[in-house]
Amino acid sequence: MSDEKLALTPVEGIKARSNYLRGTLLQSLADGATGALAEDDTHVSKFHGFYQQDDRDYREERRRQMLEPDHQFMIRARVPGGICTPVQWLALDAIAQKWANGTIRLTTRQAFQLHGVIKRNLQPVISAINDSLLDTIAACGDVNRNVMCTPLPESSPIHRQVCVDAQAVSRHLTPHTTAYHEIWLGKKRVAGTADTALAEDHEPIYGATYLPRKFKMSFAIPPRNDVDVYAHDLNFIAIVEDNLLSGYNVAVGGGMGATHGDPATYPRLADVIGFCTPDQVLSVSEAIITIQRDHGDRTERKHARLKYTLDDHGLDWLHTQFEARAGFRLAPQRPFSFTHNGDRLGWQQTSDGLWHLGLFIQNGRVADLAGATQLSGLREIARILQGEFRLTPNQNVVISGIADRDRAAIDALVEQHGLDSWNRLSPLRLHSMACVGFPTCGLSMAESERYLPELVGQLESLMAAHGLAEQAITIRMTGCPNGCARPYLAEIGLVGKGPGLYNLHLGAAFNGTRLNTLYRESVHEGDILSVLDGLFAMFATTRNDGETFGDFLHRTGVVTAGTEQGKIGQ
Amino acid sequence: MFNALRADNSPFTQPQIDSLQQSLGNLDESQSAWLSGFIAGRLAGPPSRSLGHSLGHSLAGAAQLPLPVAAANPNSAPAEGERLQVFFASQTGNGEGIAQSLAADAERAGLVVELKSLAVLRPASLKKLEYAAFVISTHGEGDPPDDALELFEYLQGPRAAQLGQLRFCVLALGDRSYGKFCEAGRKLEHLLLARGASVFAPRVECDIDYEQPATGWSASVLSFAVANLAPGSGQVLPKLALAPLAAHLSVVPQAARWSRARPFSAAVERVQKITGLDSDKDVFHLELSLEGSGITYEPGDALGVWAPNAHELVDEVLRALDIAADAAVVLDDHRHTIHEVLIRKRELTRLSQETVQGYAELAQNRELGNHFAQLDDEQRRDFIEQRQFVDLVTDFPLAAGIRVSASELASVLRPLAPRSYSIASSQASVDEQVHLTVATLYAPGSSKKRTGVASSFLNQHLAAGDEVHVFLEPNHRFRLPEDRTTPLILISAGTGIAPYRGFLQQLQAEGSSPATWLIFGNPHLRTDFLYQREWLELRKSGLLDHIDCAFSRDQNEKRYVQHVLREQGARLNQWLEQGARLYICGGLGMGREVELALRDVLCSERGLDTGQAAECVAELRRQGRLLKDLY
Ligand code: SRM
Ligand SMILES: Cc1cc2nc3c(=O)[nH]c(=O)nc-3n(C[C@H](O)[C@H](O)[C@H](O)COP(=O)(O)OP(=O)(O)OC[C@H]3O[C@@H](n4cnc5c(N)ncnc54)[C@H](O)[C@@H]3O)c2cc1C
Ligand SMILES: Cc1cc2nc3c(=O)[nH]c(=O)nc-3n(C[C@H](O)[C@H](O)[C@H](O)COP(=O)(O)O)c2cc1C
Ligand code: SF4
Repeated sequence: MSDEKLALTPVEGIKARSNYLRGTLLQSLADGATGALAEDDTHVSKFHGFYQQDDRDYREERRRQMLEPDHQFMIRARVPGGICTPVQWLALDAIAQKWANGTIRLTTRQAFQLHGVIKRNLQPVISAINDSLLDTIAACGDVNRNVMCTPLPESSPIHRQVCVDAQAVSRHLTPHTTAYHEIWLGKKRVAGTADTALAEDHEPIYGATYLPRKFKMSFAIPPRNDVDVYAHDLNFIAIVEDNLLSGYNVAVGGGMGATHGDPATYPRLADVIGFCTPDQVLSVSEAIITIQRDHGDRTERKHARLKYTLDDHGLDWLHTQFEARAGFRLAPQRPFSFTHNGDRLGWQQTSDGLWHLGLFIQNGRVADLAGATQLSGLREIARILQGEFRLTPNQNVVISGIADRDRAAIDALVEQHGLDSWNRLSPLRLHSMACVGFPTCGLSMAESERYLPELVGQLESLMAAHGLAEQAITIRMTGCPNGCARPYLAEIGLVGKGPGLYNLHLGAAFNGTRLNTLYRESVHEGDILSVLDGLFAMFATTRNDGETFGDFLHRTGVVTAGTEQGKIGQ
Repeated sequence: MFNALRADNSPFTQPQIDSLQQSLGNLDESQSAWLSGFIAGRLAGPPSRSLGHSLGHSLAGAAQLPLPVAAANPNSAPAEGERLQVFFASQTGNGEGIAQSLAADAERAGLVVELKSLAVLRPASLKKLEYAAFVISTHGEGDPPDDALELFEYLQGPRAAQLGQLRFCVLALGDRSYGKFCEAGRKLEHLLLARGASVFAPRVECDIDYEQPATGWSASVLSFAVANLAPGSGQVLPKLALAPLAAHLSVVPQAARWSRARPFSAAVERVQKITGLDSDKDVFHLELSLEGSGITYEPGDALGVWAPNAHELVDEVLRALDIAADAAVVLDDHRHTIHEVLIRKRELTRLSQETVQGYAELAQNRELGNHFAQLDDEQRRDFIEQRQFVDLVTDFPLAAGIRVSASELASVLRPLAPRSYSIASSQASVDEQVHLTVATLYAPGSSKKRTGVASSFLNQHLAAGDEVHVFLEPNHRFRLPEDRTTPLILISAGTGIAPYRGFLQQLQAEGSSPATWLIFGNPHLRTDFLYQREWLELRKSGLLDHIDCAFSRDQNEKRYVQHVLREQGARLNQWLEQGARLYICGGLGMGREVELALRDVLCSERGLDTGQAAECVAELRRQGRLLKDLY
């Protein structure tokens, strides 16, 4: 029960005052004296899909120069299920060149991010993104975020059905406010004063103050757990029987975010609470979301995610609430199992005979660098591609729907632009993932995207020395405990604590069904390397056949206590 | 010293000139200064202008006159209340200083003297003037200082009275690197003569090294006054005379220990670039310490800075002319090496016509001589502005076989002058510090990245701990209003924002909070909003009501402060109707555009025609509600 006596968080006030997400955005955009938004609007803006940031590399210098921080904006485009047409890719590419920092960032939720957009370019960028039939509304904010979906199962028909369901949910839960169209797309302002606007605007599902906190959904198609189905608030695990999609197991209450030194916050794996048929997906989603809307904690944002609502009230309470709202009981969950939570890269053929090429994009940063002009490469590919792009949950991209005869052409471009790294790089690197972190992320405490590639290089040589060069190990780094790269689900997780300092977590399951465990606190690179060197040595000599690093660490008792999950269902 | 006299530049025949030169040639400077005044005093009516002119030149350089006692004056039947009126129209304080010391000397000589800014001279009272000395500088592009505008308008207008009773003389201050040298002084004399007034001592025109000629001029004024005006009646006089003196000086004359001639050596405490990475401007914030100087300033004042030329530049010049760095030069009876002289005593970065022509002769470079000769004024100014001396000697080298001596070089170059910088702080807030906002000047046109001497010295060569020679340039034409409730419209571009930082520091320290509106222009918001953090803080705190910026290169079509004024016409007019004061600081071009925009706004908002609007603007200026500090 969120205690009514406690004061609501300031953000709740801002939402309430915002008149369905208008806030004072128009005035903020018109203020020519600063590159920033008014304080309150920096919260409202998230619902529109962009975050105010500043280049932290220049903060100190600009303070001495008596200039404000180098304010710029990160814009996130929603891509439900990660599916994006070549035309959309080209549009985004053009926008990145013209108005952003010239790179495209593929995210851990199968979406796009642009960095370095300055205030006066927000309007052109957002309307251009909308012209491309992608959008940014609800890409951030206390609403349902981009809906994830396994991008590349063996069976295309199943994928198509699951995607349809995922996209339907995404549409169903998109905010209804007209503020977005009014501010960014120049659609005529809702007639009349703020109050009549209130009357005309309404949010059938969210209400005027939206959700207590962000809300995330995913659809997984076993045996692939690439979406990390236990990491999100509400998840659907496709149950395929006789090659037919009979429905979904429903998992609720997952989340990664935590705060250093605050035991009341923790990563949590979602609980599988039952089974529903495809036609029930919308009502299940609406029921769960409204439970969270009404019972999530609006007095403490650190305690506002569904996972805490669940732990505060218990599963039985949830089922009662659910039945009351949905009008039916969930069926008992059905068996399923996962093999891995990483991506399958390289060429693959699906049941429909079409080919798909999974490309490795290090930390999701698509850029033109000496030796690897990946941004240009993907532009070239987009120009000839008949099929579509599929963004993966691990910051990679699949070039999808290629006919046999076109493979050679694609291969040529892939090689020419250094996009063929998937068949050159070590399994460790191909299973590595880092969040954005410095210099744009306002919350990062340690380097992440800019540092992990280097650290992986050092680990590669250690592993090679122990004859483990071909061993796949999931390694994920984040600049802070918020967990944007889902580090607590990696066999090796590194969570930023301070400049050059990380918490070392070990022993998650290779298929994302078990959290890892904090093994060393606040360690420097040196310690990280020596600790892992020792463990690699042990692993190389005493592991069982096919045993993964995480399982090995548990069997040998190096780590314990990681929350078991997913056995449910076997 | 009379070899300046030639038949073609004077009314004399050659024999007259020969005998003049013979008899006057061996007078020392003070004697001839005295004599000139004496003669002028005797002359009924004005001397021929050309005489005045040529004498003017010959007088330049006269030394301080040992003051003659009033008694030493043989024949004068002074009328009651005959006074010497000393007027000044001064923008950066030079002329004001000269006028002050003249008035002081006159008092010591026992004369009744009144010192006034032309700002407080009511044109009507001209009719009663009998003896007046005018010190007037030239600003803008040949314009009189603001304080003289009203007088000029009057004298040019139809209502102007006949001034047969008035005997006057003019000291014109100027700078030969500008097109219209001493234009205002020349014009003033011309206008007064045209109304029937007569000059009692020849006009003297000063370049930026004005001290000597100015003293000579003062000497001749004094000698005339002593010869022709009533002495004061003893003790009481100074007080009587001092009363108007104090009344008309809106500054308490500063701790006179430090001056342009005797600058204070201030310790540098901070040199900080304040334009962001990849800005195309290099603007720096400097903090200097005035500790121990006793100098007190007010927001709106400027600081004079003496800056040496850069060693590299000096070496480059000497190499190009093949002159040894240690070659000796004698300047005012002291031996220096040419190297020292070029570093501390001569202008290398700002050319003048005289320097160009002088060098062309020395170098016997016909190309340069002919080229420059056939340029019109406009083209000559451009030629000067786009070159530094080093460009001149490299582009137009010495003719074959020609050598230039160290002293010849020193003689064609103008004496080094200090540069002015608006003070960007208030002592109410920074105590004994003084802050400056300095943009490194990259010389227009010059192929290599030539920089200005003072701005590059301050920004590129100084570091905390160094010392720099400075002196105060009071500017009581650019101050906060006495009435601290008057709404303030603060318009500026680039470093023109500096004095407003001082204004707001002052208001904040006092706790007064008039309505304030900052209008600022520069190329880019991201890198060029000078002191942005402070302005945003002030806006947050409520002390600054509006900030409107024009960042010229942040959109396709250029946008400047004058555009803001036009966009905000309604508010501008409303503020003016509420008695707002309008300040404009920064480049001359910006100043012009802003006044035009102001006129347009008055037209559109008040339905006036351009004539009426112009009159409106003039009225604002007369009321002291339109204040400019342009450079
Ligand atoms: C781009 C991305 C990481 C990446 O490298 O791909 C990302 C980047 C940011 N996340 Fe995240 N998060 C991203 C996926 C995640 C995930 C993983 C996931 O959703 O599968 C998580 C953990 C799952 C969860 O939500 O528990 C995650 C948990 C957070 C949190 C902690 C939330 C919590 O409940 O404690 C924050 C901080 C917050 O919300 O207060 C956060 C906040 C942020 C912000 C917006 C920082 C901020 O609030 O100012 C980061 C922007 C950095 C930048 O400069 O771009 N991000 N963030 C991912 C974008 C996903 C998307 O397309 O929407
Ligand atoms: C009252 C007042 C206040 C001022 N306040 C400030 C201030 O706050 N901040 C600030 O940065 N500056 C201010 N200035 C301008 C400053 O005084 C200097 O003029 C400026 O810094 C350039 O000086 P410099 O010695 O660096 O360049 P200089 O050495 O004087 O000239 C450099 C170049 O300018 C070109 N040049 C030569 N003659 C001319 C000419 N007649 N016109 C135009 N260009 C020419 C030549 O190419 C020359 O090489 C102010 C000026 C005044 C009069
Ligand atoms: C912005 C500016 C413009 C000037 N324009 C001229 C000019 O056109 N002609 C001229 O002879 N001197 C010009 N000068 C030089 C001044 O007249 C000279 O510095 C004089 O000593 C200033 O005297 P004051 O301090 O009494 O105003 C200009 C000076 C400044 C600062
Ligand atoms: S994990 Fe922390 S540092 Fe990394 S992107 Fe998310 S919020 Fe920023």
